Amino acid sequence: MKKNLLLLIICVLIYSCGGNVKDIYQALPDQVLDWKAEAEDVVYDRETLYDYMNGGAEVYLAFDFQQVFVRKFKRTGEDEIILDIYDMGSPAEAFGVFSCDREDEGAGIGQDSEYGFGLLRFWKGRYFVSVIAAGDDQAAKPAIFELGKSVAGLLGPKGEKPEMLKLLPDKGLLKDRISFFHSNVNLNNRFFIASDNILNLDRSTDCAFAEYEEKGQEPVILMIVRYPDKAAADKANASFRLGYMPEAKDTGLAEMENRLWTMVKQKENIVAIIFEAPDTARAQELFLEIHFE
Amino acid sequence: MTKLITRRDFIRGSAGVVLGAAIGFSAEPVKKSRVVLIRNPEALDANSHFNAEVIQEMLDKAVMALLDKSTPQKAFQTLVKAGEVVGIKSNVWSYLPTPAELEQALKRRIVEAGVKEEDIGIDDHGVRENPIFKKATSLFNVRPIRTHYLSGMSGCLKNYIMFAPSQQALHPNSCADLGSCYKLPMVKGKTRLNILCCLTPQFHGRGPHHFSRRYVWNYCGILVGKDPVAVDAVGLELIKAKRRQVLGKARELPPVPKHIQVADTKHGIGTSDLNKIELIKLGWDQDILI
Repeated sequence: MKKNLLLLIICVLIYSCGGNVKDIYQALPDQVLDWKAEAEDVVYDRETLYDYMNGGAEVYLAFDFQQVFVRKFKRTGEDEIILDIYDMGSPAEAFGVFSCDREDEGAGIGQDSEYGFGLLRFWKGRYFVSVIAAGDDQAAKPAIFELGKSVAGLLGPKGEKPEMLKLLPDKGLLKDRISFFHSNVNLNNRFFIASDNILNLDRSTDCAFAEYEEKGQEPVILMIVRYPDKAAADKANASFRLGYMPEAKDTGLAEMENRLWTMVKQKENIVAIIFEAPDTARAQELFLEIHFE
Repeated sequence: MTKLITRRDFIRGSAGVVLGAAIGFSAEPVKKSRVVLIRNPEALDANSHFNAEVIQEMLDKAVMALLDKSTPQKAFQTLVKAGEVVGIKSNVWSYLPTPAELEQALKRRIVEAGVKEEDIGIDDHGVRENPIFKKATSLFNVRPIRTHYLSGMSGCLKNYIMFAPSQQALHPNSCADLGSCYKLPMVKGKTRLNILCCLTPQFHGRGPHHFSRRYVWNYCGILVGKDPVAVDAVGLELIKAKRRQVLGKARELPPVPKHIQVADTKHGIGTSDLNKIELIKLGWDQDILI
């Protein structure tokens, strides 16, 4: 009886985070407009993801990636549409992988989405989905959207964004530029800081990265990193100061060569860094607006 | 070890210096690290299809200039001899593979140099098990240039990762040790020519497959050299120039192509220092960028 109850709870939890993987795969369409599924579907997990991705695997493995389902659709000639459904383990992680690479207009699919040049990306629940055309992307666009909508409908209920994003100040926040990630590979592809991992980022760290509107100039950047404990935050704080702004010494403030300011501050196990601030007052103000409580 | 490069190096404009590359290419010929860049706008037709005839001509001219020979046949005869077994290490990445026209142009000249057609293999993922590659006496490295999430740039050095027993073992630290592939027993001392296809380079990537057609442009060029590090160092300059033009100075460097410098300073298989590279430019010079 207890065993059955536990199983039921697990099933409910899985569904509430975004549907059952097997059911989703079985319900996927074999044909979208005049594009037909060809070849065998393939599923890759954390061990085999390298077989599928050239180098990009690390970007996903830096999150709680569980598995990706791949189905390829073909029409005539060499053109192909590739559907990838990534089970990221939780809605926060699905949002994370989506959020690190945003450039295009929303497509109105899933919880958040974008489309440009033959690439549709969206997330819903614990799933991140990519649909990409290899070949003539204009010709493939209607099928890409049709497929995206169809997949989104199978992914179960919506999920919550990372709780950590609640730390971000609201005023001036560019909402479609928020990113959440853990590791240096994601940071470097989002906003290059240094060739080495001077913030000691890894899967145990949570990073909220945000841009704030600034009149007459490029946005001010706020990056908040949560470390497992204060000792790890202390170490990273010192490493960042030494590697990036040695002249700041104890102040945590330094004027960069473009006359904009960088500031680093720590509160317990959290390190906050502000880049591209027009002056020290703006940097301080943004730090004070962080919702620590 | 590579020196730490930070965002501030880009703001200062000193990132190239930190990477080991100085301001410009050497005007003095240094045979060891000669690299030839050839461009021809007719390499692609109006529909962006490759023109085999033009590509053959580009390869011929580039190799002749690289080796100071008067005909492509004479040039290739200095690279391979009759009776050899030759592996052409290509790249099959579906979004931007090595153009078949370039593979065939290369193969044609290798055959003319006296190598039997059945003794030439073209492969990518299967090189470690390919019987021709297993007994190859010479290798030719040919692949397109593009950016890469981890290594910053996929060039000739990165193309040899398939010879490694474990590709994953080469991923840490931005794939810094890719140059070690040139020292693997299957490879060491066998590479005769490195060809970095810049016909349609990709200067930035997006999505799971690091591909977006938006960031591919018709540069219509080919880089050729005997030194893979020098070829990649020049290729990186091209990628940086295009990124600077389109994405802005702060995003000039794809994060983070350490492996090119490390291949020089740690593995000693070539030069990454632009001051020690003689870059010969042939053909079309519009929007040449470097």
